[in-house]
Amino acid sequence: MALNSQGRTILEVTHVAKSYGRQIVLKDVTFQIRSAEIVGIVGENGSGKSTLLKIIMGLLAPTAGEVTVRGSIGYCPQELQIFETLTVSENFYYFAEAYSQHQTIGYDKLKEVKESLLVRFRFQQYENTLAALLSEGTKRKLNLSIALLHSPDIFILDEPYSGFDWETYLHFWEYTKELRSQGKSILIVSHLVYDSSKIDKLFELTGGVLKCV
Amino acid sequence: MRLRSIKTSWVMTTKELLRNRVALVLLIVIPTLFYVLIVLTTTDRIIAFKLASISETTLFEVSEQKESLVFIGLAAAGLIASFLALNFIQKHADVDRRLVLCGYRPSDLIVAKLAVLLCVTIFIGCYVAVMMLLFFVPQHFVLVVLGFTLGGYVYGCYGLLVGTIFKRELEGILCIVLLANIDAGWLQNPVYYLEAQNKMIIRFLPAYFPSQTSMVSAFTNHSTLNPLIGSLVYGSVLLLAALSIYWRRMKIKR
Repeated sequence: MALNSQGRTILEVTHVAKSYGRQIVLKDVTFQIRSAEIVGIVGENGSGKSTLLKIIMGLLAPTAGEVTVRGSIGYCPQELQIFETLTVSENFYYFAEAYSQHQTIGYDKLKEVKESLLVRFRFQQYENTLAALLSEGTKRKLNLSIALLHSPDIFILDEPYSGFDWETYLHFWEYTKELRSQGKSILIVSHLVYDSSKIDKLFELTGGVLKCV
Repeated sequence: MRLRSIKTSWVMTTKELLRNRVALVLLIVIPTLFYVLIVLTTTDRIIAFKLASISETTLFEVSEQKESLVFIGLAAAGLIASFLALNFIQKHADVDRRLVLCGYRPSDLIVAKLAVLLCVTIFIGCYVAVMMLLFFVPQHFVLVVLGFTLGGYVYGCYGLLVGTIFKRELEGILCIVLLANIDAGWLQNPVYYLEAQNKMIIRFLPAYFPSQTSMVSAFTNHSTLNPLIGSLVYGSVLLLAALSIYWRRMKIKR
């Protein structure tokens, strides 16, 4: 594992706990992600991965602890969160508008990144196709590409490559390598990580407890 | 910047609506079907009814068919607006939240949705009222259009509220169908009101003020100011409740 400990801390999760009544979902979860670091969190279904991600993203409030993010986030949810009755291009445009609200990235840059993502993940021929008419795999590419559109400091990817064919899977890892070389951090959350050699730090979430693997 | 993001969201929401062909067809078919059923099942016999916003004692006498056409026109406008509002707020709740995570202001998103909903509500109000002209000409047509539009506004706001409370479509649809059927489709019929017990309950239901606006303007020369204001206030209270829940759901907890 190629651990880069020189970079600044981008994401800091400190003593985070979450419970619903008596049901404890997360217990004292603490970890950090530095710049140019690829971190993986694995865990079985129901281990608390999604809850942890929701807390990191601000979709859920933790019962205890805190999350500090120093930089912009690109988030790819596990579920397809795209507008089905808009075209691929319109989906990009809508999210580009969202990204442009708080960031200095301009439309020209966003357009350039969009073009490169369409080519990289090989779905440029569907640019003007309604998302509803795309195959499951292509929808997944769009779901992921939206998170990558604004060149954020950290990418938080929930089961990012489920539904990918082998070639796209390879392109995905190639891309993460490039992002890492640009100083970007990546957090991959999955029930299984096939290529642990590509990851700097790997954690396992079991019964709400996070352990370094 | 804010105007641009509202405009973008308005354009995208409109595109989505226009691409939903089935919804567009139903938007035209439902009022037509309602009117056809009224024409086929009612006659021109004269019936007497009271209009609660005018007087509890004065009886008005008009053709059963005309009264039913105004009554069902309002029900159609309200029903369609509430379903559209439910769809707007509920269908893309997760994707809207992702937009907010990416930087969109929840206020910009909801303003754009409300703007589209307002346009559609006005269109429905006008369309349903114009179609009624095929059967009879009300005394104050413009006010009838306004009454139908306000019916759409009040029930549209109810649809928004239901959509923010319930995450799943089924519960939302049941809530809308239940209230719209009982209220706009039954209790607000002035003929029923004439003999109804506990009339106060009927006066507190969402379709009361818009229904009074349409009926009063269709058949009398009395002022509709009170029911007009009542409709706006009623709808706005529902809207505020919906917005406060929407705001809490969209808020980033970090």
